[in-house]
Amino acid sequence: MGKVIVVTSGKGGVGKTTSTANLGTALALLGKTVAVVDADVGLRNLDIVMGLESRIVYTSMDVIEKQCELSKALVKDRRVDGLMLLAASQKNNKDDMQPAQMKAICDKLRSTHDFVLVDSPAGIERGFNNASAGADEAIVVTTPDVSAIRDADRIIGLLQHARIEPINLVLNRFSPELVGNGSMMDQADVLDILNIDLLGIVPEDSGVITSTNRGIPLVYEDASPGSQAYMRIARRLTGQRIPIPDLEHKGLLTNIVNWFTRKR
Amino acid sequence: MNISIKQLFGRRPKSSNIAKQRLKLVITQDRMDVDDRFMTRLHNELAEVLAKYFEFSANSVQVSLKQKGNSYVLVADFPYKKFHDINIG
Ligand SMILES: Nc1ncnc2c1ncn2[C@@H]1O[C@H](COP(=O)(O)OP(=O)(O)OP(=O)(O)O)[C@@H](O)[C@H]1O
Ligand SMILES: [Mg+2]
Repeated sequence: MGKVIVVTSGKGGVGKTTSTANLGTALALLGKTVAVVDADVGLRNLDIVMGLESRIVYTSMDVIEKQCELSKALVKDRRVDGLMLLAASQKNNKDDMQPAQMKAICDKLRSTHDFVLVDSPAGIERGFNNASAGADEAIVVTTPDVSAIRDADRIIGLLQHARIEPINLVLNRFSPELVGNGSMMDQADVLDILNIDLLGIVPEDSGVITSTNRGIPLVYEDASPGSQAYMRIARRLTGQRIPIPDLEHKGLLTNIVNWFTRKR
Repeated sequence: MNISIKQLFGRRPKSSNIAKQRLKLVITQDRMDVDDRFMTRLHNELAEVLAKYFEFSANSVQVSLKQKGNSYVLVADFPYKKFHDINIG
């Protein structure tokens, strides 16, 4: 019996899809069986970010409408063992799906996979309700800026209300340099405001953009700081105790980040 | 407005600190706005205490949070009909 984790944020564009793709792949690389589910009906993206867009035949909507079996709608990622994608329908919208229908899909996937990661759309409306309906736990993704954090707090309130726990935080697009010169809040500031547990920090990494361009999740690239951050987070999800490195101490890490940024 | 020489030439407060302060305030407000149950409970408990001293109709009572400059104030509006004549002590 696996667990269903919704990846959500409130504000759009903070890295939910990027995190779902990379954590799903990372967990599979660690030997887990994983299903990643795109719950962004009408604005599907997880397929293209993972590079599986050309292989989608069926979507969760087809499963709900009983056009096909769930097992048939799952697309197997051939690059790693144990990773499957369930795509969202692009021609429907969020109101065409009921939370109970998404929950039924999650319940089935939970019995066949160690991890089910659900990529939530932005917002606090129907799309979020659908995405979180079958979730046991939540990962809230935020960037260290005021609007994303404010919206994250709102989402955390809704998740708590729905009794989804634990709720863990991924702080994305973190820049040690900006924190160093006082123009970005650090993790202590963010945690002080949101008051949930930190699952990990993902630095700003241009590798995220180039890997998305190619449709190859960053975690396949060992050396990138973003890749290492996602691998550490995946290990924590499997229960390993991996300390969160203090990215604030500039110097070596910043140099590494810069070196990789320059390379491309 | 009130940009002082000190702010122009001296050390300006770090923008990350300003962000944190602003967020703490606005999130406090958001959470209370969202939590109707909290406001209802506060309303009822305040009314309970004040009913010892005043006579008022329950639905005339309003409790809310208002922003005042950089902070929030709890505004309680209790239009009362009459002050109870009670002996304190
Ligand atoms: N750590 C990072 N470093 C650099 N760029 C990043 C990072 N994380 C995300 N991005 C970029 O930010 C953009 C938004 O990311 P993503 O699509 O994952 O966000 P999202 O939360 O799923 O958005 P939406 O709310 O629209 O679904 C993308 O262009 C992505 O490449
Ligand atoms: Mg997305």
